[in-house]
Amino acid sequence: MKKIIALIMVTVITNNAFSQQQGASRKIQFADLAATIGSSRGAVAASYVHNWKLGKKRKWEAGIGARLTSSFGSKQEHTTAPARLSRTNTIPFLIVFAGQKTENWDTLTVQRPFVNSLNFTVNFGYDFSSRWSGGFNIDVIGFSIGRKSPAVLTSNGVTRTEPTAKVSNFNLLLTGDLDYGNLNSEFFVKYKLNERWALRGVYQFLFGEYKTTTIKQTAPDGTEVDRFRIKANNLGVGLSYSF
Amino acid sequence: MIACKKEKTTSTTPVMDTVDTTAQLKYRGVLMSGPYGTVMGTVKIYSKATSYSLVLDSFAVSSGPDLHVYLSKEVQPLNFIDLGLLRANSGTQVYAISGTPDFTQYKYGLIHCQQYDHLFGSANLQ
Repeated sequence: MKKIIALIMVTVITNNAFSQQQGASRKIQFADLAATIGSSRGAVAASYVHNWKLGKKRKWEAGIGARLTSSFGSKQEHTTAPARLSRTNTIPFLIVFAGQKTENWDTLTVQRPFVNSLNFTVNFGYDFSSRWSGGFNIDVIGFSIGRKSPAVLTSNGVTRTEPTAKVSNFNLLLTGDLDYGNLNSEFFVKYKLNERWALRGVYQFLFGEYKTTTIKQTAPDGTEVDRFRIKANNLGVGLSYSF
Repeated sequence: MIACKKEKTTSTTPVMDTVDTTAQLKYRGVLMSGPYGTVMGTVKIYSKATSYSLVLDSFAVSSGPDLHVYLSKEVQPLNFIDLGLLRANSGTQVYAISGTPDFTQYKYGLIHCQQYDHLFGSANLQ
């Protein structure tokens, strides 16, 4: 993961230096506001994006940014988060394809989740035509704050009350269930309305994490678990303004 | 726009379930109001063969969100069995109990707001 982030940074920095030699047209800056909704969770996200055009034809773009995501819902079922308990292997990237160890999962039903996370992002895109483009972006690292909430921990049919589950404060992308905290990622299609404004259709994949404070899951290996995760698939729209 | 799922709610129309007259009354307790809301009525535990049921008899509770019926080890529920969403604010209601709980431990019948972790009422089952 560190190598990939370093590679992205080198690409961005060297490309930035190149673009400064070539002129400002390679640089793209825009602000974006997106609203998404899914079966279990809704979210609004405000982001700032600083991309650079890549390639001879300048159809590719990559860059960095920052995103504030607020997500919310009601009675959301979070499951055991640590990757060593939730997945059959924990190799970065390959973990995405690993099997699920559902026998280790307990469920923390967070009654009134509300999470605000501010994360550093990386962004990628491709211009299909002068008006249409598409891309992907993902949160990498940041922090979260949010509402404490009562929750119910269900473990092998036994239910216990967690009076104050709290939002996990530290966010870090490590791929798949290795991730920590609250991370947002989007695949999108973008339509340019004019020089400044563009509309986006967004598919969002949202990781949310709450921690218990008074009770814990006792895992089969004897360790105690306080981290519980929800994964939400959302759809929505975004509005972008280019500077 | 919190979610697409429609949440179930407790009805204000009284529910009048019929209690199985062949079932045996094992425990009972009078409901006392908790820190939130007002309750009245009696909680009864009946057994028939190997199955148990909880009955809210001559029951009434003030309105509240997300009210559930619990069998609990404590008055303020930490370890509990959720018998489900309270079906109505009043009447006589029967809730099936899965398994065979140890009633020397699960000795409280509760009306509890799950969403806000607020106790509306409790009955000490004896």
